[in-house]
Amino acid sequence: MTREAALRIRDELRGILLALLMVAVTTVIALGLIEYFGVRRGSALYLIPVMLAGWHLGLVPALVAAVAGVLWSGYLFFSPFYTYFLARPNEILNLTLFMVVGLVTSHLASQAKRQTELARRRENEMSDLYAFSRRLASAPAAAEIYLAIEEYVANLVQRNVVLYEASSDGSLDNHTVPAEMRAALAEIQRGSIPATTIEDGNGNSWFMRRVSQRTPDFGVIAIDLGRAGKDMMAETRQRLDEALSDAAATLERLDVARTLTEAKMRSETELLREALIGSVSHELRTPLASILGAATVLTQSPVIARDERLKSLSSVVRDEAERLNNDIQNLLDATRISRGQVKPRMEWIEPQDIVNSALERRQRRLSGHSIAIAMDRNLPLIYVDPVLVEQAFVQVVDNAAKYSPPGSTITVAAQRNGHDVVLSVNDTGAGLTRDELARLGERFFRGSRHAGLASGSGLGLWIAKAFVVANGGRLQAESQGVDQGTTVSIHLPLSEHAPPPEAYPDD
Amino acid sequence: MTEPSPVVLVVDDEVQIRRFLRAGLELDGFVVQDAETGADALKWVTLKQPDLIILDLGLPDMDGGDVLERLRAWSSVPTIVLSVRSNEAEKVRLIQGGADDYVVKPFGMAELLARAHAAMRRQVRASSGEPTVKAGPLTIDLAARIVTLNGQRVMMTPKEYKLLQILAQHAGNVVTHQYLLKEVWGSPHMHDTHYLRIFVRKLRQKIEEDPTQPRILLTELGIGYRLAIPETPKPMMQ
Repeated sequence: MTREAALRIRDELRGILLALLMVAVTTVIALGLIEYFGVRRGSALYLIPVMLAGWHLGLVPALVAAVAGVLWSGYLFFSPFYTYFLARPNEILNLTLFMVVGLVTSHLASQAKRQTELARRRENEMSDLYAFSRRLASAPAAAEIYLAIEEYVANLVQRNVVLYEASSDGSLDNHTVPAEMRAALAEIQRGSIPATTIEDGNGNSWFMRRVSQRTPDFGVIAIDLGRAGKDMMAETRQRLDEALSDAAATLERLDVARTLTEAKMRSETELLREALIGSVSHELRTPLASILGAATVLTQSPVIARDERLKSLSSVVRDEAERLNNDIQNLLDATRISRGQVKPRMEWIEPQDIVNSALERRQRRLSGHSIAIAMDRNLPLIYVDPVLVEQAFVQVVDNAAKYSPPGSTITVAAQRNGHDVVLSVNDTGAGLTRDELARLGERFFRGSRHAGLASGSGLGLWIAKAFVVANGGRLQAESQGVDQGTTVSIHLPLSEHAPPPEAYPDD
Repeated sequence: MTEPSPVVLVVDDEVQIRRFLRAGLELDGFVVQDAETGADALKWVTLKQPDLIILDLGLPDMDGGDVLERLRAWSSVPTIVLSVRSNEAEKVRLIQGGADDYVVKPFGMAELLARAHAAMRRQVRASSGEPTVKAGPLTIDLAARIVTLNGQRVMMTPKEYKLLQILAQHAGNVVTHQYLLKEVWGSPHMHDTHYLRIFVRKLRQKIEEDPTQPRILLTELGIGYRLAIPETPKPMMQ
């Protein structure tokens, strides 16, 4: 006899004992009613333990309760009282009827209970399935789906479930698989058999099938059926098929998601690269500050100032260190932009203050060019982050100086144009083709014609554009064509709340 | 040399920065003293009153701002901070915390010296009661409250004069928007920078040759204003 059968018999015996106990309690109550109230027609009382036993304990205890109830009511309620002897034929009929009612009642009760239980289990299964499909639908990655399948199936069959994922080359990751199952797993994976049930070394049965019947990519699922064997499987097989076809469809959908995962990995690489640029740039700036500072001391020291060659050499060190510093600053700015760390601190500012500050900053670099300045006298105040806009304008100025020949004129202007204040830089240099115009402001874009003309990273105008856009403005470039010069302008919208210049009397 | 050389305390943990600062400052006639940490610097200042402090903000033991705060609790020695770019809010905080001016790393020696001399002159002016400040063609007589441009008297409203007076008292060094607004218009207008912008525009029309390209009343973007004073070049020592 198996252990499970023994358990079932023990449960049944417990039920019978409880049923008899309830009959006994009913008898005590019946005796009380007879003695103190003179009740003589109380056999219906015994329907109560029958129904209770039918509902809670099952059919066999109910039958036992019915038989015991008939015997007791024959003894107590049918004359001659306190004997099992029945005097009149109609009483025999009564008792028989009672017995039939008792049996039917107990049967109905146990039936109703089974129905209720079934309905409840269905409901649970439905809600599990619903939760499962919702989890599948929202699964961000295949690993999450595998976990969901494992948990759902394990819950469904109340058994140990193992999923063997297929690795990228299509072979199964099977080093944890018991040796006996390996061959069967491989066969299922190849698709030569759709599903199988085998026994492992410990006498447990395992049901195995591919997660998807269409592709081996999603691996094989194995369910430990224990010693119950195939019978157990029959009832859950269909639901398992349903669940797995759902899961397989989601996994197929996730092939799209696999691409997404790769894209995410790429963007993480990008982040890493930017973090690297950021920290390297900081590391470079410290020694650069010493080099630049030392170079400025050298250029001004009397010993070197007396010797033209030494003076020009120390100027080279100073100027190149400055240029390197600007390049590093550009890298840092680019990193800041990519990370979304550009946060403008808006304030009211005179547009020409921005232009003047940028020209002051680039005084030395612009010394080889002739600078023409055209600024409107009474420009309205603008509401921007002056530091960011100045940095953008410096980039535009740098660009003009870089792509126009020494000695040529660079015209810097600040003007009002409709609802914008326009800060512009015009040069008479290399100009731009239509294609170059369209691509200007892309990150790392450098016109191929310019590669030999000037050094640069192609970051400058991209940074300028980002800073201007952060201030609600736009960057615009115009050129009549190659060698026709270029005008790059920064358009900054006037704030609707601009304070009128005369709003504040002198005192 | 009749006057004793001014003593400068350089507080920076970077040895290379200290080396070029020492060279540049000594060439300019300073006697240079080094400190690597904030604690060293504070100890040194209590022992000997320097004429100038150059303070780096990134010190190994304490924040430069804290050093400044503890220093300002008892000393008004002119102090220039070495800052990093792209943090205007920090610069403003430091100046409000008592720094006379700042330079942004990397910086040239000339810029640092100009700021340093301006801060030291202010100290001298304050102690000697020197009444006039010259900024190019502009002369501001703080005692008589008279402003002249190329010898011609410039008429000003009281608020315009007040603004110019504050800038003149700090001539060569930056003065923050907030300080100017508070002094001229009062605390409730501390953040009304547009008051300042419009006033400065009017002031520039009175004192600048070309108000769109000012040479005297300069803007420090995101921070404040600076009254430019011509550098009095010292002969470099050999």
